[in-house]
Amino acid sequence: MIIEVLAAFVGTLAFSVFYNVSKRELLFCGTVGGISWTVYLFVNAFIHDSIFSCFFAAIVISVISHILSRVRKNPVTIYQIGGIFPLVPGAGMYKTLYYIVNEDYTLSTYYLYESLQIAGGIAVAMILIASLNNLLIKR
Amino acid sequence: MDHKKLFNYAILTGEIMLRSGAETSRVEDTINRILATTKFTTVESFVTPTGIFATLDDDTIDMISFVKRVHRREIHLNRVAMANDLSRRFCAGVIELEDAYNQLEAIKDVPSYPNWIMVLAKGIGAGSFAVVFGGDVIDMCVTMIIGFALAMIQVFLRKLDTLKFFEDIIGGSLIATIAIVSFYYLKIGSNFDLIVIGSIMPLVPGVAITNAIRDIIQGDFISGMSRAADAFIIAASVAVGVGSILKLFYLYLGGAPI
Repeated sequence: MIIEVLAAFVGTLAFSVFYNVSKRELLFCGTVGGISWTVYLFVNAFIHDSIFSCFFAAIVISVISHILSRVRKNPVTIYQIGGIFPLVPGAGMYKTLYYIVNEDYTLSTYYLYESLQIAGGIAVAMILIASLNNLLIKR
Repeated sequence: MDHKKLFNYAILTGEIMLRSGAETSRVEDTINRILATTKFTTVESFVTPTGIFATLDDDTIDMISFVKRVHRREIHLNRVAMANDLSRRFCAGVIELEDAYNQLEAIKDVPSYPNWIMVLAKGIGAGSFAVVFGGDVIDMCVTMIIGFALAMIQVFLRKLDTLKFFEDIIGGSLIATIAIVSFYYLKIGSNFDLIVIGSIMPLVPGVAITNAIRDIIQGDFISGMSRAADAFIIAASVAVGVGSILKLFYLYLGGAPI
């Protein structure tokens, strides 16, 4: 598990480079990615439900991103994209279209709904925390 | 105050942020804040992922409207952060318009990371995600090599200025080809699926579909729908690239899926 979290840290850091995040913020992005995967694994070990685990991990990293963005004076997106990177259903989207190409519509529908549920969960978590942030702290 | 200049500043800020991959709501907010420093009665902006519309009107001036089509997008979060910070300082009255405009011109040309770092980052990123999803060290090495090859071919194709759709199909088929060669012929790697999934991580639109749903929930329907369409087209092109090579390979083996 430690290796997986470390890999999530390195992977998120690498993809932040790919998104042209400035050098000073790279380590923070990597850390957020590592935390996100840790929370996901932890929650998933208890309830065995990937959608809820993603939702919960997204809530945690959104809170961290909002705090970081306030401290480091940067847009929230920078940290948030890094954080959700290990969670988002990239592979699910690929599988959806892959099974359509292979004419296996049952599996493709399954992966389509799974991807939409995970993406929806993460999106709702992000909006929830953003709204709370707006309510609590007047800009 | 020179309204036209202020308007140009607002539009250029919006254009840079949108082109660098900022959310449409953030771009709208920034343009509105900059234009609101005039205290005019009508300040309105409407941003979609492919264009900016903005209007400024008051009794004392002729109405100014502007349409800006934004074409090629490249995610550059550093530029978003810098333009955002600059506009914040401008709205707080810390710097003058002339100064802000000149600094913005400089932000427009902030360089991306050099190509070799990008290639390195994509390889390492792909390799790490193969491990995140449960692969072992050998899978990671294979995925990393595929990631390097993929990033190099992307750099090459970007120089030729090809369509994104074409780029992803080529990328997908390259991934499948190298994965098949290394797994079935050189016998390196223990999980074929994980190698493929790790390698496609730099291409697949996971963040795009999440942002699309987020936009739709927030009420930015046009931007949400166009991002969703974007996500599905990207996923389709990657799947076509990978799928066609796999199908050819299975046909060559005699139609036996492994």
